[in-house]
Amino acid sequence: MKSLLAFSRAIDGLNTRIGRGLIWLVLAAVVISAVNAIVRKAFDVSSNAFLETQWYLFSAIFLLCSPYTLLRNEHIRIDVVAGRLSNRAQTWIDVFGTVFFLLPMALVITYLSWVVFMRSWNINEMSSNAGGLVIWPARLLVPVGFFLLALQGISQLIKLVAHLRGQGPDPNVRHDPAEAEKALAEAILRERGATK
Amino acid sequence: MTAFLIANMAPLMFVALVGFLLLGYPVAFALAANGIVFGLIGIELGLLQPSLFGAMPERLWGVMSNDTLLAIPFFTFMGLILERSGMAEDLLDTIGQLFGPIRGGLAYAVIFVGALLAATTGVVAASVISMGLISLPIMLRYGYDRRIASGTIAASGTLAQIIPPSLVLIIMADQLGRSVGDMYAGAFIPGIVLACLYAGFILLLSFVKPEWVPALPEEARTIREPDGSAGTRSLAILVALSAGAGIAYWFLYFNRLKPDAPTDERLVLCMSVAVGVAFAAAVVNRVTKMGLLSRIAERVTFTLIPPLALIFLVLGTIFLGVATPTEGGAMGASGALIMAVARRRLDLKLLKQAMESTAKLTAFVVFILVGARVFSLTFYGVDGHKWVEHLLSDLPGGQLGFLIVVNIVVFLLAFFLDFFELAFIIVPLLGPVAEKLGIDIIWFGVLLAVNMQTSFMHPPFGFALFYLRSVAPVKEYVDKLTGKITAPITTMQIYWGAVPYVIIQVIMIGIVIAFPQMVMVYKGEASTVDPTTIQIDLPAIDQGTPTVIEIPGADKAEPGAKGEAGKSGDPLQDMLKQQEDEAETANKSLEDALKAK
Repeated sequence: MKSLLAFSRAIDGLNTRIGRGLIWLVLAAVVISAVNAIVRKAFDVSSNAFLETQWYLFSAIFLLCSPYTLLRNEHIRIDVVAGRLSNRAQTWIDVFGTVFFLLPMALVITYLSWVVFMRSWNINEMSSNAGGLVIWPARLLVPVGFFLLALQGISQLIKLVAHLRGQGPDPNVRHDPAEAEKALAEAILRERGATK
Repeated sequence: MTAFLIANMAPLMFVALVGFLLLGYPVAFALAANGIVFGLIGIELGLLQPSLFGAMPERLWGVMSNDTLLAIPFFTFMGLILERSGMAEDLLDTIGQLFGPIRGGLAYAVIFVGALLAATTGVVAASVISMGLISLPIMLRYGYDRRIASGTIAASGTLAQIIPPSLVLIIMADQLGRSVGDMYAGAFIPGIVLACLYAGFILLLSFVKPEWVPALPEEARTIREPDGSAGTRSLAILVALSAGAGIAYWFLYFNRLKPDAPTDERLVLCMSVAVGVAFAAAVVNRVTKMGLLSRIAERVTFTLIPPLALIFLVLGTIFLGVATPTEGGAMGASGALIMAVARRRLDLKLLKQAMESTAKLTAFVVFILVGARVFSLTFYGVDGHKWVEHLLSDLPGGQLGFLIVVNIVVFLLAFFLDFFELAFIIVPLLGPVAEKLGIDIIWFGVLLAVNMQTSFMHPPFGFALFYLRSVAPVKEYVDKLTGKITAPITTMQIYWGAVPYVIIQVIMIGIVIAFPQMVMVYKGEASTVDPTTIQIDLPAIDQGTPTVIEIPGADKAEPGAKGEAGKSGDPLQDMLKQQEDEAETANKSLEDALKAK
């Protein structure tokens, strides 16, 4: 169990670093899109490379930050029923879901999209738009993202089992659902206090 | 047994989905798993082609290269920066002071600011939190009915869902295969009408139950002239002046020089002129210290400028046809960043927080869509869409019967599901049926958006109520200004407060059904090219499949299929292709608009 937990910590570390590192792509996408719109209107210049960069960034954000979102337990759940169950039952549901829902899905898509990527790589596929970008890096994002997601699923599974055996904390931090809102309220009150 | 399975795959799949979702495992993965499990069963039974899953990477690719969805992180990021910029608080302070001394004034201020914030960005939580912190204590101090105060705040916050630019409308447009610009133009008037209905409810109360919505005493107004007067006359003159300038621009400029300019272009430009005049007057007044304007007039102008500038940056550019909705989002986000920096409200920590929240929200929203796509790959494969269509198109009463049933179903589902789930799972099933019945899809989308807005207000799960609960006082407290002990707001009061607004919402659904003209304005005048469809002055962009990649495992992948986007010989592939095509109508309308030029 110990070495498994160490493995799980390594995965968590990797996906946290990737997730936190890639948040800057949000700012990059905003700036590129805004500049692109202004330049197009002002100078009547535009390039498909710019437009394609935007959705490359977008794809990188949602595919590569998804494992981190899973780690933080922020993928939406419907907990009308499940929310009333005991912590133990919820943990069992998560074990079941990880083994039968998440892992097969992530592995199937990793495999299928890897095949597509290899094809794209072999023919050095280019965008069909004038002045477009090389396509294979974007195709590579899919298998990488889903593989990292599968890894994160394994890490969650290890932590869930450890929790069931009383050897670790509940990996699904039950966030206070109004956590973000409370933080915002505090910040607003603080700033108002400072100006008055 | 097998025969039963084959005959009832679609209903079985749907029932299983409900079970999978209720387990409480993340929706995105449960959806995808459902698709894969039933796909395997279907292949085993010979109902589906073994090549089925080969289409999955292409479906994912369609999600990735979707320009519309890019607006999700942009508007989210904009909202997160804006909520910390202090703009909402300034607005509530100033507008509250302005309207306070009339009966129901604070409630009008909350509704007005709610609508204004809704038009800059679309985050319900932020509006409700600001109002709960700033307006609620004042309302309680001067004896507003607790239920009315909390209901008004929660409902005004949800206006963000229906007034463009809202995430609901973006996702709805994407799922129904229409352009976001059309969806915005269609939702605009219903959004305003809804805000007016809220205000109408307060007006009614101020006659029937005046003690519930009292006027603030004059001394509650702290922005006054040196001689103690309120200075509202000066404001009235300024408003008249700028309105006059806007109207004059309409008649003198447009009617004479550009008589065929479309209405939305006129509106945007004339309003900009009006605001510009007021702003210029306020600046001149401040710089020269001439005292032409009263303090309240100057203050109101300066607090209204930032949100109006943002609205212009986002909605104005979209309606003028200068920017696509996605770019509007990026410009709005940049504007919010600049504003936050100018107000010294932005530091690295806040920026990182906002980016991280945006990245996580984007990931979970888009993953629900990915899951829904995997689900629908199988569901359409087993003719699930035909099953849904069969269920819904035989309803008595034709169009109207369909609309009523669908709205009741969505209204009830909204008690349990939030709008992301509704939009990604339910809407794609309903859209084609509506289209077949001859219902205008934008109208249908706006109708559903108004309906889904209630999901934020339903007691006990409504998010807006929940946000309000997190900031409303839970314990007795001593009011800072009056020193009086003030009772807390109970959860039941928040729930009861929402009830009249949920009823207004239902009335609004009826109004939108009865008066589709409100939405149909998106079509614009027949003589002009609709500016909302002119998007990019670029060579046409292929957002879909750049080159056709052979489907792995496809036993029929003939060499002829390569490089040809048309028939692949496999009926399922053709059907999927068709689906993808439908989802790209938005791009088509763009190309058509370019050709029309």
